[in-house]
Amino acid sequence: MKIKKIIVSILSILFFSAFAGIANADCGKVVVANQNWASAELMAEVDKVILEKGYGCEVELIPGATMPTFTSMDEKGAPDMNPEQWANAVYEPLNKAVDEGRLVIANKAPITGLGEGWWLTPGSIKKHPELKGMNAVEILKHPEWFPDKEDPSKGAFHGCPAGWGCQLANANLFKAFEMEKKGWKLIDPGSAAGLDGSISKAAESGNTWFGYYWNPTSIVGKYGLVHLDFGVPYAGDENWNGCIVKPEQECVDPKPSAWIVSEVNTIITSKFAKQGGKDIVKYIGNRTYPGSVMNGMLVWMADNQAGGPDAAVEFLSKHQDVWTKWVSSSVAKKVKAGL
Amino acid sequence: MEFFTKFPVMERVSLMELKKGIDLSFRLFSRKYGDAIESFFDPLLFFLVWLEKLLLTTPWPIIILVIAILAWFGSKSWKLVVGSSIAFMLIGYFGMWNDCMATVAIITVCTIICISVGIPIGVLMSKSDRVEKAIIPVLDMMQTIPSFVYLVPILMLLGIGKVPGLIAVCIYALPPVVRLTNLGIREVDKETLEACDSYGATPFQKLTTVQIPLSLPTIFAGVNQTIMMALAMVVIASMIGVKGLGVPILRAISNQYLALGLMNGLAIVALAIIFDRITQEYGRRIQKHRGTTTKK
Repeated sequence: MKIKKIIVSILSILFFSAFAGIANADCGKVVVANQNWASAELMAEVDKVILEKGYGCEVELIPGATMPTFTSMDEKGAPDMNPEQWANAVYEPLNKAVDEGRLVIANKAPITGLGEGWWLTPGSIKKHPELKGMNAVEILKHPEWFPDKEDPSKGAFHGCPAGWGCQLANANLFKAFEMEKKGWKLIDPGSAAGLDGSISKAAESGNTWFGYYWNPTSIVGKYGLVHLDFGVPYAGDENWNGCIVKPEQECVDPKPSAWIVSEVNTIITSKFAKQGGKDIVKYIGNRTYPGSVMNGMLVWMADNQAGGPDAAVEFLSKHQDVWTKWVSSSVAKKVKAGL
Repeated sequence: MEFFTKFPVMERVSLMELKKGIDLSFRLFSRKYGDAIESFFDPLLFFLVWLEKLLLTTPWPIIILVIAILAWFGSKSWKLVVGSSIAFMLIGYFGMWNDCMATVAIITVCTIICISVGIPIGVLMSKSDRVEKAIIPVLDMMQTIPSFVYLVPILMLLGIGKVPGLIAVCIYALPPVVRLTNLGIREVDKETLEACDSYGATPFQKLTTVQIPLSLPTIFAGVNQTIMMALAMVVIASMIGVKGLGVPILRAISNQYLALGLMNGLAIVALAIIFDRITQEYGRRIQKHRGTTTKK
C-alpha cells in the first residue's frame, strides 16, 4: 500500500512537472545575441528576463558583435534576435534580407537620442579655449593641439577598432577630409578596451583627445565628452552607403560629409517572428528605452562594474514605469514575480 | 539543504563595494603617478619608434641582406639563408612588408628587454633557493593569467600605443628565459664548480667565466622560447593599438576575411620559424663547440 502511494505521488509529480514544461514551451528556445558593449548587454539581459519569465521562452545568450552577428543571422538564421543592431554598417544587406524575408526589423528605434560622431574630451577645451564652439572642419586645421605620443609632429585622430563597421567610415572620412595632408594620423585603438582606455586616460589626466565615439554610453556621460558639429552637411546616401561605409578599395572618391543619422534596430529572424508569435513581436516593437534612462543605466553599470545580468535586475526593479508599458499587465506581473 | 545546494556567497553589496574600492584606488594611483610612469618609459618609446622607422625607411634589399647575413652567422646553413630570404620576399610581395617590419621591431625590442631583465633574475634565482621559491609562483602567474586581465591596468596607466603593448608582450614572454637561466646555472657540473673553488675563483669570476658560459645552450633555449611567445602575443598587443601583423588579423576576425587572416597569420608563422631555426641552430652550435672542447 505504502509503496503504491509513493509511486502514485511520484508519477503525479512527474506528470505535473512535465505539464508545466509543456505550458512553458509555446515560445521554445530562443538565441539572443549578447553583443560586447554595455547597452547591448543590458538590452540582451533584459530581453532574456522578460522573455523567460513573461513569455516562457528558454533564452540562450551568445556573444556577438555588429558584423559577425549580422552575417550569422543573415546567412545561418542564428541567433534569433539582435537587440541592438547598428543598421548603418549593414544598410544594404539588411534591406536585402528584409526584402527576401529572412530577417524582420522588429523595432526601428529601441533607444532614443543616440548617435555616432566625433567628440572631444573636456580637457581639450580647457587646454585650448579656442576650441569652444568650433566644428570639426575648423579643428582639422590644428593638428598641433592633439599631438600624437609616438610622433608629436602629427595630430592624433582616434578612429574605430579594426572590424567595427565604423572603422571603414572613419578611414574613408579621414581620406575625404584630406586629414593626412593636414597633418593628422589615424590611430587604430585596436579594441573596445583600447578606445575606451584612450579616452579615460586622456580625460582623467586632463589631456586632449579627438576621435570617434557614440551615444548613449557611460563614457560620454561620465567624462562629459563634447559632441562636434561636422561643419559640412550630410552629403547624401549615395556618398555614404555607396562609398564611406565600403572598404577603402571600393571607395575611391569619398566626399566630406557629416555622420549619417544613426539608425539602430532590433532585428529578429523571420523564423523567430513566426515561432514567438504576435505577443512577443509586439513586445519587441514597444520596447523603447528613453536615451536618458539608458545613459543613467550605463553610468550605473560603469560605476558599479556591473555586468549585463546585474544591470538587468537593477533596470527591471528601478525603472518599472518604463518597462511595464512594453508588455501586458499579466506579463508584467509574471516578470515582477520572477525578479 | 540550501546550504549544500547554494554556495555561500559574499553579500552582493559588499562584493560590489570591494570591486569598486580596488578600482578606485588603482584609478587614484594612475591619476597620481600615471604621467611619471609614462615618462619613465619614454626612452623605450623613443627607441622603438626609431627602430621601426629605421626598418621602414631602409630599402628592402638591404633588410633582406641583413637578415640573410644574420641567418648565416646564426646557423651557418645555406638552406636557412635562402629560406628566410624567400620568406621575407613573399611577405613583401603579398603587401605585408610594413606590418611585418613593425612586428619585427616590437619583437626585437621585447627580446632585448626580456634578456636584460630575465637573465639577471634567473641568476639571482639560481643563487638562492629562497629567491627561487618566491619568484616561481610569480612566473607561473605571468604565464597563465589571461592577458586581457592585465591589459586593463596597463591601459589605465599608459593609455594605448607601443609601450603598453610592449609591456603586455613582455609580461607573457619573460618567464621562459628566467626559468631556463635558473635551470641552466643550477645544472652546471658540481665537479667543475669544485675545481673553480679549489683554484680560488671569486663567486663573480665563477659566475661569469664558468657558470654562464657552460649554461649558455640552456639559456639560449630560453631566449628562443621567449621570442616564440612574444610572436604569439602580437595579436593581443594589437588590441591596444600596436601596429603590426596583428592589426589585419583583428580586422579579419571581425569581418570574416579568410584570406587576409590566413596570409597575415602565415606571415607570423614564417617569422617564428625563421627566428626559431636561427636561434636554435646557434644554440646547437655553441653546444657543439663545447662538445669538441671537452673531447680535447
